[in-house]
Amino acid sequence: MILEGILAVCQPLTILWIAIGVVVGIIFGAIPGLTATMAIVMFLPVTYSMSASQGIAMLMALYIGGISGGLISAILLNIPGTPSSVATCFDGKPMANKGQAGRALGTGVVFSFVGTLIGIGILMVLAPVLCAFALKFQAYEYCALALFSLSMVVALTGTDMPKGLISAVLGALLATVGLAPIDSRPRFTFDMYQLNNGFALVVLLIGLFAISEVMSFAESVRKKEDFSIEQNVKMKGAGFSLAEFIMQIPNAIVSALIGVGIGILPGIGGGVSCMISYTVSKNTSKHRELYGTGIMDGIVASETANNATIGGAVIPLLSLGIPGDPATAMLLGGLMIHNVAPGPLIYEKNGAVVYAIFTAMLIAAVMMLLFMLWGMRFFVSVLKVPKNYLLPIVMVLCGIGAIGNANQIFDTYVMVGFGLMAFLMIKAKIPTVPMILGFILGPTFEQNLRRVSQLASSDPFWNHPIFCVLIVATVLVVIFSVRANLKDAAREDSNE
Amino acid sequence: MSMKKDKQYKLDIIPGIVLAAFSIFYMLQIPKVRVFKSLGATPLTNHFVPYLWGGCMLALSLWLVIRGVMKYNRLKKQNALPPSESFFAVLWDKREVVFSFIALALYVGFMESIGFVITTCIYTFVQILILTPRERWAKNFLPALIIALVTGFLLFYVFKVMLNVLLPVGIYGMGL
Repeated sequence: MILEGILAVCQPLTILWIAIGVVVGIIFGAIPGLTATMAIVMFLPVTYSMSASQGIAMLMALYIGGISGGLISAILLNIPGTPSSVATCFDGKPMANKGQAGRALGTGVVFSFVGTLIGIGILMVLAPVLCAFALKFQAYEYCALALFSLSMVVALTGTDMPKGLISAVLGALLATVGLAPIDSRPRFTFDMYQLNNGFALVVLLIGLFAISEVMSFAESVRKKEDFSIEQNVKMKGAGFSLAEFIMQIPNAIVSALIGVGIGILPGIGGGVSCMISYTVSKNTSKHRELYGTGIMDGIVASETANNATIGGAVIPLLSLGIPGDPATAMLLGGLMIHNVAPGPLIYEKNGAVVYAIFTAMLIAAVMMLLFMLWGMRFFVSVLKVPKNYLLPIVMVLCGIGAIGNANQIFDTYVMVGFGLMAFLMIKAKIPTVPMILGFILGPTFEQNLRRVSQLASSDPFWNHPIFCVLIVATVLVVIFSVRANLKDAAREDSNE
Repeated sequence: MSMKKDKQYKLDIIPGIVLAAFSIFYMLQIPKVRVFKSLGATPLTNHFVPYLWGGCMLALSLWLVIRGVMKYNRLKKQNALPPSESFFAVLWDKREVVFSFIALALYVGFMESIGFVITTCIYTFVQILILTPRERWAKNFLPALIIALVTGFLLFYVFKVMLNVLLPVGIYGMGL
């Protein structure tokens, strides 16, 4: 069965489709507003006429390429290509500003590959065990997990905690727009049907990052002499030494485990995993004050975690037939179109296809590494394009991304609204990043809190050890982060 | 909570007031949401979490206002209040930002009726000029025009024709 699966993928035509999938995925990931999900949606019909192994291999390649490509614009433009690369901006852009764009890209690419490999490795070896663990996550556990993840906001708030918390609450508040969880009653839609599904994360990201980047450039137009970002970009190998790679291995392993852990839990996804791993890496580092100034560690944490989430997300998809995020939901559709029924019996009924998927993912990961390392010189040349030409084109692409997300123009109005909000927030020194966590986790928290309220009388919380552990961990994270933030604020005040 | 010792009290008071007003408006909308009361209803209704977030936002924004007022009083006592700037002077100083937002708003506002290609060409051209200092306009005029035209037509072809994204055709569609 294993050999049959490997042979099905190791055909010249299948490898060609994987290569095309990886390249298209990288392009979609790199363009702000276009996501891996959109790439899979658009190319799903292309796979109709292919054999099961070819079609599924191409979809997996699109997924891996799409998640990995997001780091390019995150590092070069400070605009995350996908929600999974938000945390890559924190250190990626400062590195690019220091003339280390090549080093930042190399780090991102290599550790994306490492993260994907660890994710696939865990998927191949531990899928059944992890699925059993994921099934233990019910309402109590999800509610506590959402709280735990929200507690990470405290670490992301920086030295001005009230403003950071305002940002996170604003994100959670925006997420209440649309149909309410469980009872599907419309809330805050003001009778606009376009708001029934709520605001889209990708539209919020465009507003928060892309528009604010354009406006920040517009602010400095009269002060600028040179309109290219960086003319002197040095490139050598992957941009870092073997010793540096070895030093980052513990960081990468922890981040990959966080990525896989978040990936197997439906509804959380890469956007959260990259920020949690970044926060964990920062909080456990001996030089936490350097995070955000342009160090490798931040990129390693973010990129390893978001790519490891791919392997994690495929575990419940294949073993239980449960998609964890929109991208895996589309992959589920792709599997069904090709007569592969995911679920506990998949290894017995479609064993060859499962091994074909594993092989395709490995080949796609290797191709992603090769294409992105090879293309780094080309990507870096983006920095030499004058920004007054580049940013308007990026804005148009963002508009297309907003329209393509749900095929409605209304999302472009929302995009401009979010852009204005982000600009005003930046002017008011309110950080925008905690808002993303609040926006993603708010609905998970609400849905499970309400389910818990139903269960509480018959099934008290002390019957849920995972819930208790997560609540204790949440309290510890809050205490630790508040202490660290107060120290940072005191240091900042004494420096002023 | 930390009490930062910077001098920018306005950056606490103004956002605090705006956000407090927003959270009050938000919470006033909550009773208009219909509560589900049939079989399967949850003890915590669909009002609970919005009230929770709205309450948190109100508390945090009021804290911001109080913090700003405290900063103001401290600076006033020390006679160290920073000089105030006229709102219109600030707005004029950021005119490229204001024009960029206007251009973007007009772009998305007219995209459906006029069409993607025409609005994109105009927006790209205008936005390039906004992001270029005035003394360089003459030098950048032709490249901006070419880039705007190529962007409009090329992106329409790639996304509408090749990838089937529902970009609005508008007036351009009438000629097709």
